This record gives sequence, C-alpha cells and structure tokens, in this order.
Amino acid sequence: MRDHWHWVIGIATLAALARPGLAGAQDSTRRSNPRLLPDISVVADLLGDLSRRGSTLEGGQRFSVREIEVAVQAPVDPYFRGDVFLGFSDEEGVAVEQAFLTATALPWGLEVRAGRFLMPIGKQNTTHRHDLHTLEFPAVLQRFLGAEGLKGTGVHVSKVFAPLGFYQELQLTAVDRFGEFDESLTTAEPINTNLGGLGFSARLRNYVDLTKHANLEVAASAVTGKRPQPFAGPGAVNALPARQSVVGLDVTYRWRPLQQGLYRSFILQGEVMKQLNERVTRPGYEGPTGGFTGWYLFGRYQLSRRTYLGARFDWLDDPDALGQRLTAGSGYLQFFPSEFSKLMLGYE
Amino acid sequence: MTRRFSLLMLLVLVAIQMVMPPAAGAQLKVVTSTSDLYDIARSIGGSRISAKHISEGYQDPHFVEAKPSFVLDLRKADVWAFVGLDLEIGWMSLLLDGARNPKIRAGGTGYLDVSKAVSVLDVPVGNVDRSQGDVHPLGNPHYWLDPENGKRIGRLFRDKFAELDPAGATQYGDNLARFEASIDAAAKGWAPQLAILKGKPIVAWHTSWRYFATYTGVNIVGFMEPKPGVPPSPSHLAGLVETIKRTGAKAIIMEPYYARKTADFVAGKTGAAVIVLPPSVGGAKGLDDYLAVMGHNIATLAKAVQ
Repeated sequence: MRDHWHWVIGIATLAALARPGLAGAQDSTRRSNPRLLPDISVVADLLGDLSRRGSTLEGGQRFSVREIEVAVQAPVDPYFRGDVFLGFSDEEGVAVEQAFLTATALPWGLEVRAGRFLMPIGKQNTTHRHDLHTLEFPAVLQRFLGAEGLKGTGVHVSKVFAPLGFYQELQLTAVDRFGEFDESLTTAEPINTNLGGLGFSARLRNYVDLTKHANLEVAASAVTGKRPQPFAGPGAVNALPARQSVVGLDVTYRWRPLQQGLYRSFILQGEVMKQLNERVTRPGYEGPTGGFTGWYLFGRYQLSRRTYLGARFDWLDDPDALGQRLTAGSGYLQFFPSEFSKLMLGYE
Repeated sequence: MTRRFSLLMLLVLVAIQMVMPPAAGAQLKVVTSTSDLYDIARSIGGSRISAKHISEGYQDPHFVEAKPSFVLDLRKADVWAFVGLDLEIGWMSLLLDGARNPKIRAGGTGYLDVSKAVSVLDVPVGNVDRSQGDVHPLGNPHYWLDPENGKRIGRLFRDKFAELDPAGATQYGDNLARFEASIDAAAKGWAPQLAILKGKPIVAWHTSWRYFATYTGVNIVGFMEPKPGVPPSPSHLAGLVETIKRTGAKAIIMEPYYARKTADFVAGKTGAAVIVLPPSVGGAKGLDDYLAVMGHNIATLAKAVQ
C-alpha cells in the first residue's frame, strides 16, 4: 500500500482483431464470419511510476508491462458460450484470469456460468483492471478481496427479475475457495475437503432510471469462506481454517445527457465493506479476529469528448496492519485518443 | 414414478412454451435498436405488434449505454431488430446476454439483422485495421437514410412478422403496400428539391450521410472527420477549407449530437452554412416518423444549397 505521494502514468491500448470481412461483397447474402473464428481482443496495460521516493510498481520498476490481456470469446454451440481471458505480465508470467462456459438457453431467465470468473462482489470487483477509471482498485478491495480482485473457480447462477417495476438481479456463486491462499500456510487437511470449506457469495443488484439521462444502482453483496490463517502449532501444520466473510453495499450514480453524451457525463460511486473474521480462541492462533471496515468514494467528470477528470478517497482499517487506519486521496486525468486507447495520469 | 412423470411433463411444457409462437391475438413484442427501425416496424406491424426502441433519434447510435432497464424489454421480446454492420457492436451483446432470451439471440427466430435486406455501400477492400479509424469492416451501416432502403426494410419486417404471426400475414402485406405507396408519394413531392440537390457539393461531418447522398444526388466532397471517429486536426481543417472554396460547397451537414464549434470555424472561413440534420426519427421536435425526417432533411438541405 502506498504511503507517499506518487505520480503514475498508465496507458491502456486495445487492439481488437476483427474477424476477416469479405472485401468488396455488397450482396445481402454476405456472411460476416465464414470461417467461424472467435472474437479475439488484446489489451495492453502499461505503467510508469514517477514518484520521487522510489517506484511503487511490482518489482520496483519505473516502467512496466503490468498486463497484456488476451480474450478469446465465441459461442461453442447453440447452448453454450465460451470466454477465455489470459493475462501475461512481467511479474506473473501467464495466468488464466478467467475461463468460463455460460449456458445461453436456460428457461426462466436463468444464466449459469461454470469455470473461473470475477466474483460478483461489490461494484468494481468485476471490472477488469485496465478498464478502471483509476490506476488501481480501491484500497478496501485490495485488502479485503485481493490486490487484483477476487476470482473464483466454480459455478455462478444469476436471475433477472422486476417484481417492483425496476431491474433487479440476484447472483449466487459457489467456488472452490475464497480468494488466493498463502502457499506457505499448510492446514491439517485441504480446506475444501468438506463442502463447508467452499466459498459462497450472493449479490442483489437494483437498478433504476431516474430520468432518461441519469440512473442509480444500489447493491448489497456478501461472500464467505474458510481461509488458512497462521497458527503457531507443533509439527508441519502452520495454519488453521477460519471463516472469513465480507459484506458490502455499493451505490453508483450516473448522468449522461443523451444528445450531448459524447461530450458530458458524470459518475459518482461508493462502496463500503466490512470484513468479519471468525473468533478462533485456540492457543497459537495468529490470524485476524474481529471486524475491519473500509470504504471509498469516487467521482469522475467528463471535460470534453476525450478528457475526463476523476478523484477518489479511500478509508480503511487495514487488517494487514492490525487495523491501523489508512486514508488516501487520489486524482486522475484520463485522455482517450480514440475509443481504443487511453492515457491516464494519476496522483496519490 | 408419478413425481418423475410430472416433472418430465413440466419440463416438456416449459420447452414447448419457449418455442411456440405467440398465442393467437397476442401482439408480437418487437424491440429495435434505433428509432427508424421502430417507426418502420410500427408501419408494417400496425396493431399486431407492440414496439420499443433502445436509442433515441437525437443520440449517437454507436455509443448507447447498455442500461439494465433495456434488458427488461428485451427479456420478453419476440423480435430484436438491429441495424447491424457493427453499428451496435459496443452495446448490443451486453444487452442480449443480459436478456437471456433465446428467441432474440443469434440463430433465434426473432434475431433480425436488418442489414441483410439492403445493398451495402463502402465495404472496405484490402487490409482493414484500426489505423483507419472507427471503420466498419462490413460496410457503412447508415443505410436507412435512403428511402429505397426504407422499402427494403419494410419488406424484411413483413416477412419476419408474417413468419412469426402467420395469422397477420395479410395485414402485414397491406401495411407494407401502404408504407411503400407513402414513400413513393413523398418522393414525388420531393422531386423539385431533389432536382436542386443533384450534383451539389457539400461537406459532411461523418460518413453517415453516404446513403442520403446516393439518394439525393448531392456530392460529398469532404468530411470533417479525417477518418471515422477521429476528430479533425488543424491541417485537415486547412485542407477542407481549400476544398470547400475550390468546389463551391455551400453546406456542412452534421448530426445534432456532435459539437458544432469546429464546423462553425470552417463555415466562418468559407461562407458555407452549418446545417444540423437529424439522422433519425425523433432527432428533432416534430420529426416523429421516417418520412418526416427524410422530408425535413431534403427540404432543409435544398434551401441551403440553392
């Protein structure tokens, strides 16, 4: 976590490799994808850190290729769609960021997804990092869900409904584990030996159009699972499984006038999360107990067709620092030379 | 055994419900991407359909927010009619995924790519990549601005509605005949203005006016955007000023959702007039149907170049 002022420049560029078109074809029977190729896209996320007192980038580099994301997406057959997102980075090599099948022909408006996916917790956790309006995820997400967000491998079920006249969506997941585990920690048996050791989450999303130009989204989320926590005990076992849960509320207000929407928009977004830890009383237990709270407030205003100005305030009781209070303010200037490239200057 | 049989019957009934056409007397629920397709759909469908559109006539259809509220309409739609040629590429798939309606997914009975009804202009040849700007690799999608394509769109809607609602086939056919006749009658009324427009040089902001130019006979001698979606640079504007002076172009036409500051600058240097033309139904007050938009644009431009 940053503890000093720093300047970071981010550049994200998207190269969409379009399916080959049929040059010169003008008749109405033309096919747009005769070779059945998937949709492929590449996003390069490049960072530079100009902080006076040393770089805060991973590995201490001043300039880095934070990630190259390659996405391959296509219908598999009339019943399923496949999406694969691979991440390439200097620090982590190649990683399967997401890979899931989505059932597209289920009744009752259900959607079921199986594989690895970004878990629907809070608002920003399902945003790809290069798509953020800031350079990094908010502090509370980094601490409570993971530095690169919370992913899970398992099953995701969602349903849309509108009994009250506005959009509501319930998303439920069951995943192999809650978050990334410290590989140096060893429990007596794998945490997912019992089904109670899996990770589970729920999110209820509510969306309403306030006017044609403004809308409001309010959602509640919760995730729970057992995680290995440090334990100073005898033998090779150095961790105990302990339940950890995160509950949260997020609110997003958007304004974009339809006719001037290319040139003016505003977003105000905030999330508050609370981390709850099982009170393990066994002697030698060194993991977190009790609860920690964090929140952020973010706003971004569009200055012109290509330029945006944003700011975020972070507030966190840091569980990695025994609950020490952490606050941070940051400002961002975004410039989009086109829809497909973005330059961002950030100051924290 | 009885419980299993009951469950099987329930699943069969659900499956049948999903593939059966709407019950006799029930309106076809049609959702369109643009207000133009909406108006033409209503003209053909009449009282046998209920229709909604996603983007507004005064809004850039390339950049529509995929709001969850649109998903609620698409969930129950029998037909999703869209312009295609990647006009809706930025937002359509988000809405269709969110709707979870197999009828309107690609391959479904209600998935209607309207572009298959028209002859497409400006299909790129050779290598196509993003250095060419926001290029549409499958061709220019703004085809509804040619009333002859409006008739073709009407025929496509007639065929689709009749396929899904055979009991209404005669009514759809009658509505199509009336729609085509109204276009022919309007075209006769536009004849004097089209005579004025024929061969006249103009400048357009975006490549969206190519089909309009084909129908009206105006000659687009330059675009404010050096490449689609790319704002003009000072050198491009200087060249455009020269082009306008050389060709005698009297009008710079642009959509209402672009800022006119740059166009006003070029107009100030050349004496050309900036003409804001709504490209879609609802794009300006009182332009509430397809022919009203076409008639307004033809008359306004003819007055400007006379």
